[in-house]
Amino acid sequence: MTPSIPKLLLICGALSSLTACGDRESDFGRPLERRSQPVELVLLEDGRPDPEVLAVDQFIRRGNGEEPETLDPHLAEGVSAAHILRDLFEGLTTESSEGEINPGAALRWNISRDARTYTFYLRRDLTWSNGEPLNAEDFVFSLRRVLSPETASSTSRTLLPILNAREVLAGELPVEDLGIALLDEFTLQITLTGPTPYFLGLLASPVAFPVNRGNLEELGDQFSRSGQLVSNGAYILQEWVPRVRIDLRKNPEYREAGQILIDRVSYIPTEDRATEIKQFRAGELDWTYEVPNNQFKWLQRYYPEELVVSPWMGSYFFGFNLTQEPFIDNPSLRMALSLAVDREIITDKVTQFGEQPSFSLVPPGIDGYVPFAPEYADWTQEEREHESRRLYEQAGYSDEWPLRVEIRYNTGDNHKKIALAVASMWKQILGVNATLVNEEFRVFLQNRKQKLITQVFRVGWISDYNDPYSFLELFLTGNGQNDYGYSNSTFDALLEEVGLERVRARRERLMFEAERVLMSDHVIIPIYTYVTKRLVNPHLRGWQSNVMDTHPTRYMFKLKARENPSGEGASQ
Amino acid sequence: MSKPALRVQDLAVTFTSFTGGVLKQRERLLRAVDGISFELNPGETLGIVGESGSGKSTLARAILGLVKPSRGRVLWHGEDLTALDEEELRQKRKELQIVFQDPIASLNPRMTAGDIIAEPLWTFYPNMARLQVEERTRGMMKVVGLLPNQINRYPHEFSGGQCQRIGIARSLVLNPRLLVCDEPVSALDVSIQAQIINLLKDLQKKLGLALIFIAHDLSVVRHISDRVMVMYMGQAMEVSDKQRLYRRPLHPYTNALMKSVPVPDPKLAKEARQASWLTGDMPSPYQRPKGCIFHDRCPFLVKRCEADVPALRRMENGDWVACHRAEELDLSIEAAASG
Amino acid sequence: MRQEGLLRHAAVRLLGLIPTLLVLITIAFFLIRMAPGGPFDGEKVLPPEIRANLDANYHLDEPLLQQYFRYLGQIITGDFGPSFQYKDWTVNELIAQGFPVSATVGGLAMLLAFVLGTLIGTVAALRQNTAVDYSVMGVAMLGISIPNFVVAPLLILGLAVYAGWLPAGGWDWSWQRMILPVITLALPAIAYIARLTRGSMIEVLHSNYIRTARAKGLPESLVIRRHAFKPAILPVISYMGPATAALITGSVVVERIYSIPGLGSYFVQGALNRDYTLVMGVVVFYGVVIVVLNFIVDLLYAWLNPRIRYSEAP
Repeated sequence: MTPSIPKLLLICGALSSLTACGDRESDFGRPLERRSQPVELVLLEDGRPDPEVLAVDQFIRRGNGEEPETLDPHLAEGVSAAHILRDLFEGLTTESSEGEINPGAALRWNISRDARTYTFYLRRDLTWSNGEPLNAEDFVFSLRRVLSPETASSTSRTLLPILNAREVLAGELPVEDLGIALLDEFTLQITLTGPTPYFLGLLASPVAFPVNRGNLEELGDQFSRSGQLVSNGAYILQEWVPRVRIDLRKNPEYREAGQILIDRVSYIPTEDRATEIKQFRAGELDWTYEVPNNQFKWLQRYYPEELVVSPWMGSYFFGFNLTQEPFIDNPSLRMALSLAVDREIITDKVTQFGEQPSFSLVPPGIDGYVPFAPEYADWTQEEREHESRRLYEQAGYSDEWPLRVEIRYNTGDNHKKIALAVASMWKQILGVNATLVNEEFRVFLQNRKQKLITQVFRVGWISDYNDPYSFLELFLTGNGQNDYGYSNSTFDALLEEVGLERVRARRERLMFEAERVLMSDHVIIPIYTYVTKRLVNPHLRGWQSNVMDTHPTRYMFKLKARENPSGEGASQ
Repeated sequence: MSKPALRVQDLAVTFTSFTGGVLKQRERLLRAVDGISFELNPGETLGIVGESGSGKSTLARAILGLVKPSRGRVLWHGEDLTALDEEELRQKRKELQIVFQDPIASLNPRMTAGDIIAEPLWTFYPNMARLQVEERTRGMMKVVGLLPNQINRYPHEFSGGQCQRIGIARSLVLNPRLLVCDEPVSALDVSIQAQIINLLKDLQKKLGLALIFIAHDLSVVRHISDRVMVMYMGQAMEVSDKQRLYRRPLHPYTNALMKSVPVPDPKLAKEARQASWLTGDMPSPYQRPKGCIFHDRCPFLVKRCEADVPALRRMENGDWVACHRAEELDLSIEAAASG
Repeated sequence: MRQEGLLRHAAVRLLGLIPTLLVLITIAFFLIRMAPGGPFDGEKVLPPEIRANLDANYHLDEPLLQQYFRYLGQIITGDFGPSFQYKDWTVNELIAQGFPVSATVGGLAMLLAFVLGTLIGTVAALRQNTAVDYSVMGVAMLGISIPNFVVAPLLILGLAVYAGWLPAGGWDWSWQRMILPVITLALPAIAYIARLTRGSMIEVLHSNYIRTARAKGLPESLVIRRHAFKPAILPVISYMGPATAALITGSVVVERIYSIPGLGSYFVQGALNRDYTLVMGVVVFYGVVIVVLNFIVDLLYAWLNPRIRYSEAP
């Protein structure tokens, strides 16, 4: 047995050279800034916070990562834009603070027996922020706009389940042929190509938000700018100073305007995560977009109240290219390499951010699904390594005849550290000579897709919607995302059944079975599942952690500061 | 003789340089000027001659306080210039001026001839009217043989000789009483040299200047000087009346210098070179020979020369020499041979 | 005449800008197109129908040469086209928003660097080989060798997070938010200019005409100001041309760290996102700025050094 201490030293030694590149400046000393404490939260009988405990100025500033590329909900792709758009607009359905799907513009809906036809009954008192009434026709117009070829929306893929969507996008059918029908002023029917259990969730995403036709026709592609955007959500766009801030204020026309506590929210672009933390610490932000990977321990120690870490629906893993040597038809070798990776060390010593070590594709917590766990998930690492060496030899490799392999990843500190750790584990346990290949993101993607020179490569997948299917479909034969060259008819057949199955429990079992098939073929080496991580002002309440990582401002409120004996303590 | 205007007493300038690495640094002393004394009367011209590196230029600058002497005094009408502070010394520039060796490089290329000449006036007479300054500048230009309409030209638009005229005009604009000329013609063509020397000589006569004229060969000095000092390695070898020096040098080094004067006729030049015995370079200034500093190049070397340093002593006729054998050697024939 | 020569020289230089820019545009255009991947490639692959619509929308479905001439035609009218990434804005708008910010921060930094750098360099030169010289130049060496991304977070931590005197990041045209980025940008330039000034000042101070100036009886301060300063800053001036161009078009690092909405991040963002129009826009813009600044440096040179003539015939 290999003792684990030397191995750890080896890996840490290999990593120490890298850490210099990251910014670790926050390591020197504990923070000196004074932070005020919020008062105790008191709820009234209706579950709303007692006005007595609320801060006078209900204004929050949210760090928001990159500058949003656009605030046109049908063209925006990034997470940054989505956060803002969820405040500005509301779809037929909407998300609760826990990320559950609730009625939005639609008060209720019916789903047909074949699960292909959805009939939505809209609220009758809806208005746009300019006071115009909002009705079913606005949704028909908006959904057709997304799917018409001239709009050239890349996120329109989210609405592909709608009948004829693909043909319309390809220009083969007119938009009128889409499975979207206006039944009356407040009733809308959407027909799908096949059963899509997560469809209601898709309708809560920005691409399915309504846009105001008059607004759009008057201003064209400038309608989403400062002071011009007409929207239907809890907030309206007040000012957009590019790459400085996006200010929203409460929309008095919103259907639940009376319930909304935060009056103003400012989204601040924070491209640099290290700076974002400093802005938070300097009291310039109430909410960060994320936090740097290398500061977890420090934040845990000094900002335990502010640091929020929760599971996210994303997986980090390495994929094998099954179309090339040495991995073509060589499942034992693939399994050997997978077993030799000590996930615990990677999450504990390398990434250090509370990520969950993983032995499966689908992260836990997605829509109640329990991922498949292989037998070796319960083994000790020694047992895994033992088996790994056996399989490695069985695959025909040895110390004299070691495997030579390339690990490919895109530029990034974290990716580099993980790849380096994996390579050292393989070297240590199996004697594999692994070379690290670092590529610029788009070069990397292209190489992955071509499947000519890749061997082992990094993959990170964050789901668009709350369904395990979004992970499994990547491995379908011929899927555009299938960079592994994986093709298994059993797996394909199972997924096809999943697509048709309406009963939730049976559908889950089919997905579980598909995941089992996939994992038994050792197409990937799961490493960990993602977490979201951010700092939140303890005064800010009303939000909940959820796997979707959606946090509409309309649920939030700000507590006032506790009276400080020394007379200090502003609420910000 | 009247009271001397300038008295230089035991003046020495030492430069320190550092050699060796960072850890083992050694200090080296270079005695550029090593105990020079002389007197200069108003209206008199002293020529100073020596090979390059003999310390002539340093001596010139030390007299004017442009480098700091390490020892000795410079008395200007009885006032010790070395004891003055920077500002007091600066005020003395009105009386003490210098003309430099490389005429083009010594003029700021970014200023016009007129500005260069007028600048001392702005500095010392800030209240002088613009017209008056210009008048004086044009006047000075005329005096040194420049055309007043060249006032707005830049130095690079002039020849070397013209630049030196600008330099002279500049140095005389304040009406100084002492002018030090530090090899003013060595960078110029021979034909131009004569013009400049004549100009200086005329000006000296006209203005009654005390003049120190430095050159590295005796022929240039001969024409202008009343007395000549011969320097070698920072020390004076001989200070003699011009007539006597050129007729009968007292010091073997003076004799050697005379032989090295260029001779226009190639035939004679060849002979002269053969006759010349001033061979070898000056010894390293850091390792001064013991005894007479000239002994290792001297053909008249005797034992004593290696041991004792000859003092600069006054001869009966008032000339000064630093040679043990000055009385016994008669170098006049040799000197005559070279023409 | 000098003036005429200068004017003719200016005209020739400005005309020479056109072929330079054309070459720049051509090289940049084909280089960025040669980079693997395109603006619409991401971890999530687009269905072919959607991809085709996007390509058609941005004319990416045309032959490359046709796209090139289309771009040239566009750029002649001063239109850099729409950004691929920032869909709400044209590249012209992005540059118009970003450049004033970068130019302000960079310009102030350069001004600060010039004033302090020449001052420090001159002081060091006047005190050559003394403790003052060594300590000032030692600090300058540090200034050059410590990179921005180390200095900036330290400044933020000290002055914004702990002391709370200045904001940690962000932008609103207030002087408080300019201080830290300007200092960060200026530090290495101060150090570099100080070193350049010191070196050339020492050289100039040893020159003959400075000796002359001293002999004239000029006070030392006047010797420095009137005679030594101009020639001593010649190397600084030639350094400042490209350095100013780099500073006023924005530093990626400083803009990221201080969250400044300048032009700098567009270079990197544009290239990484394969935002063809944005990359082209900023490259061409940068090219123009460089050429213009070098031109200004030439003029300054002429002003500082009358020996330079611009007449064609000798």
